[in-house]
Amino acid sequence: MQLKEIINILSCNSKTSETLLDKDINYVYAADMMSDVLKSCKIGSLLITGLVNQQVLQVSEIMDLQGIIFVSGKEPGAEMIEEADCKNIPLLTTDKHMFEVCGILYSNGMRGKEIQQKEENGGRDTLQSVIPDKR
Amino acid sequence: MEEEILYNQSFQIRGRDFVNGGSVSVQIKRILKELGVKPEVVYKVSICCYEAEMNVIMYADLGTLDFTITFDDVIITLEDEGPGIENIELAMQEGYSTATPEIREMGFGAGLGLPNILKNSDDFKINSEVSKGTKLFFKIHLN
Ligand SMILES: Nc1ncnc2c1ncn2[C@@H]1O[C@H](COP(=O)(O)OP(=O)(O)O)[C@@H](O)[C@H]1O
Ligand SMILES: [Mg+2]
Repeated sequence: MQLKEIINILSCNSKTSETLLDKDINYVYAADMMSDVLKSCKIGSLLITGLVNQQVLQVSEIMDLQGIIFVSGKEPGAEMIEEADCKNIPLLTTDKHMFEVCGILYSNGMRGKEIQQKEENGGRDTLQSVIPDKR
Repeated sequence: MEEEILYNQSFQIRGRDFVNGGSVSVQIKRILKELGVKPEVVYKVSICCYEAEMNVIMYADLGTLDFTITFDDVIITLEDEGPGIENIELAMQEGYSTATPEIREMGFGAGLGLPNILKNSDDFKINSEVSKGTKLFFKIHLN
């Protein structure tokens, strides 16, 4: 799904440059714990989180995340926005809570890596790895 | 025979320096990417480094991360001065964490860091002496 479409259906505000919004999102992951992201999030996902700090940006750079949605009306500070602009990571905010954001995206066809990979695999479970086989 | 070293760099990591937390791992990721190392290896190394770096920031006082590339591997050793780990077997368990509420609020303390490093590396060793510090070694094959 196009990131701009996601912004529309969640009524997100974009905090970073508009030029970062022109991209397609294939996977979504939601977590507040950074080790969960490092363990289970597919490389290049869109991250939904309630955690707003520098660490989220560092982890995003490590996992090549395509963008971050901060839920529950949480706002990144000016410094964080500046850094995200430098790193080309779009920061989005929404008043909706984690559960609603996940539910809305899921019902619009977005998937995390596990289900998507299972579907690609004809419904069979696969051994999971954070490492993408295709990008 | 000693393996030939193609690249080596050392980094200092200061305990409780949350502001710069992760910056060493991000630098290492950039270096590996620039050297044309394949993405799968870049991700594995930077995930492991990040978990190890944050552990020094969260739990220790001062750490030195040594980053080496040979023909076959990326090799990381991270030696820190700090409280050490009393029970390594326990620390290696998924979900075990001594993180304080303040650390948890920052998004850490899932107890997955050391298991993540073990899972993403091809060789992993941890030694620790209580009240002295911890030494971590891990290796990831380039191919
Ligand atoms: N460098 C270190 N110095 C002292 N204790 C450490 C260090 N690294 C890990 N530990 C201990 O091992 C536990 C488990 O570490 P880890 O698996 O990374 O999970 P987490 O960081 O989420 O607690 C930590 O909670 C801490 O008690
Ligand atoms: Mg840890």
